[in-house]
Amino acid sequence: MTAMSDVTVLLLTFFMLTSTFLQKEPTTVITPPSVSTEKVQETNFVQVLLSPEGKVWLTMNNDTSSNWSNEKMKMALLDKVSEIYNESHKKKISFTPEQKYAFSKVGSFGVPLSQMGEFLDLASQQEGQTKMDQWLSGEDENPNHVTGIPISWNSDEAKPNEFQMWMKAMRQTENSNLADKIKDGTGVAIKADQNTSFDIVHMVMDNLQTIHMNKFTLLTALKGAEE
Amino acid sequence: MAEVQQNDGGGKGKGHQKKMQIRVDFTPMVDMNMLLITFFMLCTTMIKSQTLTIALPSNEKVQNEENMSQASADDAVTIILDAKRKTGSFDVDTVNGKVQPIIYYYFGKPGGDAGILGPGGTVLSENNNIQESEFLANDEKSGKARGIREIIQQRNKDVLTEINKLKEKYASGGFGSLETKDGREKAQMAYDEAASKIRKDENLKKPVIIIKSTPQASFGSLVSVLDEMQINSISKYQIDNMTKADSLMVIDFQNRHHK
Repeated sequence: MTAMSDVTVLLLTFFMLTSTFLQKEPTTVITPPSVSTEKVQETNFVQVLLSPEGKVWLTMNNDTSSNWSNEKMKMALLDKVSEIYNESHKKKISFTPEQKYAFSKVGSFGVPLSQMGEFLDLASQQEGQTKMDQWLSGEDENPNHVTGIPISWNSDEAKPNEFQMWMKAMRQTENSNLADKIKDGTGVAIKADQNTSFDIVHMVMDNLQTIHMNKFTLLTALKGAEE
Repeated sequence: MAEVQQNDGGGKGKGHQKKMQIRVDFTPMVDMNMLLITFFMLCTTMIKSQTLTIALPSNEKVQNEENMSQASADDAVTIILDAKRKTGSFDVDTVNGKVQPIIYYYFGKPGGDAGILGPGGTVLSENNNIQESEFLANDEKSGKARGIREIIQQRNKDVLTEINKLKEKYASGGFGSLETKDGREKAQMAYDEAASKIRKDENLKKPVIIIKSTPQASFGSLVSVLDEMQINSISKYQIDNMTKADSLMVIDFQNRHHK
């Protein structure tokens, strides 16, 4: 029995130290197989998650070793994006410190900016996390709650859509490590299902091209034995 | 180890020394550990995703015609991705939940030198130079390329022969010894440099591959075709929009071959 408990404790330690938890994402996608063996970035990258229906969510992974914590980055991002949004919209948006704090804690995000305040207010409610997850995955009962960042075909850089606003805000980050990665293309990853139609992926790529983000990566899975 | 021997100090005058044995039951602890291990095993992700880097041209209109790089009709290979449709409809057909890719390709200009459009905008089927292919892995026995890969390899023969020579040189230690880890890294670097020089060599005949896609084609097939570019050392390729001639040719081809 002693030997066995020794082994279990060792195994437990191993798994505890090596584990990185799966992040909950609003939709589940199976990435297409590819022969490419480049590994995905662990830190400092922005992930664009695409559902087969054409909805878009964003995730920002930050460099925890730099003096920019994830929370600080996210708050700065929200400030930046509302600044860009207010330039082109009559109906201005602003966020309270509580809402900004709530935003710094969310993983994937993706609701129209006009509903962002309402979305972030959920965090202080009871079972707020569950409600937020439901909203993001589109299982919400309230028909007014829209999930996904609004995106449309747009090649006019002067009138960005909300997706382009978010990407611009990310690019203007003051964390130079992330900004460099976004610039050289390894910091932007598009994650889409293998069955997602080209039309949808093309729209996202075109949106990025419009704001001069011409280099980015596609997330793939390693191809097993020749399929 | 699970037993603790307790010595009561062996005080004098209290009669015989007493030996007490305390056994600690480890079973609940092991149980709990096992549960925790199971939890961590199920929650961890060991496999990391891979990425494929792509670079696209800027969306800005090129003002000066001279700045536009034109592929000569001789070198141009156009690949059009599409998905298998249900019989008699435009809906995408799936097998086991997977969209089945179809590839069309043609060399040079759409419809050849004569063009695909006849007088009055009619489609000239006899000029349609589109052909159909599919994604296939190498033949298991002979190792020969099949499907679209074979076609790309034929067009890129010059570069591939040079690259294969390099591979042989690498394997036989021509770039440095492969025995130590340090040596392998150095050899790999030298190889990569030589390979990239070949890919950029202007004297070799290289195809320019233009990748186009119908809206219904899957993201998976786009990644597959980009993979083929990597496998076949294609240096010049780009993703472009379908033109009217492309769509007309695909529709014409489908009308004749997929009833």
